[in-house]
Amino acid sequence: MLTRRSLVTAGAAYALAAPSLARAQARFPTKPITLIVSYAAGGGTDAVARIFAARLERVLDGRVLVENRPGAAANLGTEAVAAAAPDGHTLLIGNQGPMVVNPHLFRRLKADPATTLDPIALIADASLVVVVGPRLQVASLGDLVAAGKSRTLVYGSASNASASHLAALLLGQVAGFEARHVPYRGAGPALNDLVGGHIDFMVTTIPSVTGLIEGKRVAALAVTGTSRFAGLPDVPTAIEAGLKDYTASAWYGLLGPRGMPQAVRARLGQATRETLRDPAVIERLRDDGATPAELEGQAFAEFMAAERTRWGQIVRTANITLE
Amino acid sequence: MGEMFSNLGLGFQVALTLKNIGLCFVGCLIGTLVGVLPGVGPVATIAILLPITLSLDPTGALIMLAGIYYGAQYGGSTTAILVNIPGEATAVVTAIDGHAMAKNGQAGLALGYAAVGSFIAGSIATLLIAALGEPMSNLGLLFGPAEYFSLMIMGLVLAVVLARGSLLKAVAMIAVGVLLSTVGTDIETGRERLTFDLEMLYDGLEFAVLAMGLFGFAEILKNLQNPEARDVVRAKIGRLLPNLREFLGNLPAMLRGAGLGSVLGILPGNGAILAPFASYALEKRLSKRPETFGRGASAGVAGPESANNAGAQTSFIPLLTLGLPPNAVMALMVGAMLIQGVIPGPQVIDRNPELFWGLIASMWVGNLMLLVINLPLIGLWVRLLRVPYRLLFPAIVLFCCIGIYSIGNAADMVYLTAIFGLVGYVLHKLDFEPAPLALGFVLGRLLEEKLRQALIISGGDPMVFLGTPLSASLLCIGLVALAVSMLPALRAGREEVFKD
Repeated sequence: MLTRRSLVTAGAAYALAAPSLARAQARFPTKPITLIVSYAAGGGTDAVARIFAARLERVLDGRVLVENRPGAAANLGTEAVAAAAPDGHTLLIGNQGPMVVNPHLFRRLKADPATTLDPIALIADASLVVVVGPRLQVASLGDLVAAGKSRTLVYGSASNASASHLAALLLGQVAGFEARHVPYRGAGPALNDLVGGHIDFMVTTIPSVTGLIEGKRVAALAVTGTSRFAGLPDVPTAIEAGLKDYTASAWYGLLGPRGMPQAVRARLGQATRETLRDPAVIERLRDDGATPAELEGQAFAEFMAAERTRWGQIVRTANITLE
Repeated sequence: MGEMFSNLGLGFQVALTLKNIGLCFVGCLIGTLVGVLPGVGPVATIAILLPITLSLDPTGALIMLAGIYYGAQYGGSTTAILVNIPGEATAVVTAIDGHAMAKNGQAGLALGYAAVGSFIAGSIATLLIAALGEPMSNLGLLFGPAEYFSLMIMGLVLAVVLARGSLLKAVAMIAVGVLLSTVGTDIETGRERLTFDLEMLYDGLEFAVLAMGLFGFAEILKNLQNPEARDVVRAKIGRLLPNLREFLGNLPAMLRGAGLGSVLGILPGNGAILAPFASYALEKRLSKRPETFGRGASAGVAGPESANNAGAQTSFIPLLTLGLPPNAVMALMVGAMLIQGVIPGPQVIDRNPELFWGLIASMWVGNLMLLVINLPLIGLWVRLLRVPYRLLFPAIVLFCCIGIYSIGNAADMVYLTAIFGLVGYVLHKLDFEPAPLALGFVLGRLLEEKLRQALIISGGDPMVFLGTPLSASLLCIGLVALAVSMLPALRAGREEVFKD
């Protein structure tokens, strides 16, 4: 309960703390920064984190250590950062899974990202691509939709409730067909079955299929972003291919524990901006099918809120619920 | 054929430059080290070293990373043989007879067979990749969920052969292993199963935790209980290397292992895991003295180790010819290629021939290097066994704990390993063997996954498993194998009945 006395004490504490905070800010970071990745080393989010951290180190002139805290559908990483001291030295690379989808899937979430984390900046946005294999030989997204309406198609995904699953689910919802979902452990085995003709289609990350598209083992029908992808100039967006309301992407953002000093947040936001301007970083992200983003602070928070509402509707319509 | 040799010639030109030999050596050395350290696997090592490879050219970078991968496969068997700790699923089989040999004072021989077998298998696999890489990649594509499920059924049936003692106990252990593999999130619905609300169980049990507990920690408990037994290991060291006659005796086992491993390594979803188990089962079946298996049969080390290494090698085929990674390490290799601006896929062989053939040739060079690095090390490893056990075991426990902790940066994992150590000790006291459990655990996950995927695709029709000739024949082989292994037991049972 708030009493006047505690307010006064808090105010006094703030007044005393303010100058030291300013000094601390001048010296931020004062110790190595831990950048937590909620997945095991080697995945897409881990790759983005390591590309980002390597450059951020030089911008901030301090160590940035990437720490993998996998587990509990990436919720463990969220919890670890939510529980850390809000001094800007423990940060999280969050993607849409744990940040905006998990709150709809888990009835009891120990740390809700919307209330326990402070969004610093969106780092990158990766478009996905709709691909078909030899089992479903269609040449356009329109043909895929037509086939989906005439019989039950089977699609694979990297895992249950992953970006690749939800994007395919949304495709069916927007285009008006229902398909059977086959979950795999990772995009690799799912693509194997796509190329082998065991499943019909997939919506997957671009780098996982670029080679297969070039080698004509799968056909790319559409990318799911708002604009075409530079590496696949001939592939239309889903919007261009006739699905007006369809966009989906995998995004990665930088977040910290709720309650970081404004000055630290500003410094981190500015450092992120600078990091993402580095041509080497831009190129590395493009290799991963991603483009650097430009949303900071409040704008990123609003983007996350909008994404949360959007995926919430999709999850509810499809009736996916976990524990 | 001529084309293959000219291609390999190009490969060796690339692989034998001073810089690439150096990178291959560094990779093999790092790989051997992370392999020897329990828990620290090639996946984490490669992920952490990935940024460093940026400064190298694509071929050099991949040669080094590949060296880490097969070097780690090799190093893992050293720990399995010396202290009965299989860091990776593929080393479980090596631990059975390898450690038994070490206890018989033949640690050097076991390590020698592992080294020579790996080299021979690696050489064969290299030739196979060069000659048949492209057609073999299509073999992997034939294995959809239904075929894969049938293959796993066949694998589980063969696993019964792993048992030293009672058939019933082996079947029970396999079942427990399969059950343990279902812990964690349901792949299809995402529901939690057998997690008791513990977050560390949410993603399922980690293989390293299970193996280090059931094998490593349990072994330490056993040794602490009877000091006489462990001193035997110290007293007898024996010869370091097999002589020509012994070597020739095990050559067929190595060749069979290399063949099995080469085929199974191509399968998606880490089918290579099955290779050492299949080889062990085959050698035990073919052996004139199957009763020696589990008590230090050299063919039980030479065959599976060859299969393991061949499988590690051919798992590059889907990556190099299709751009499809069959396991986590290969997925990292995709990342490494992308960083270097090489797009993995069917076009790599035409567009980057020096990378493709250079990497293949480097595998052979790497295998030779592993032999060169490891043969002199055998003496060192064996001398390690002379360290008094009261000093050795705390060191083993320490390294295990560090390794387990590093998997998820979580202390919970270490506690869980301790629990499995106790379970392993109790199982030992009751005469149950941990190896069938480990196999059940490894195959169980794939078994369930493929069963459900196949049924989703077919819309719930179980006939899908008999739908393709490949799937149907695999199931048939499994059935026949089951019948053959049951027959003696049935006959014995009947004889008992008739006695009355």
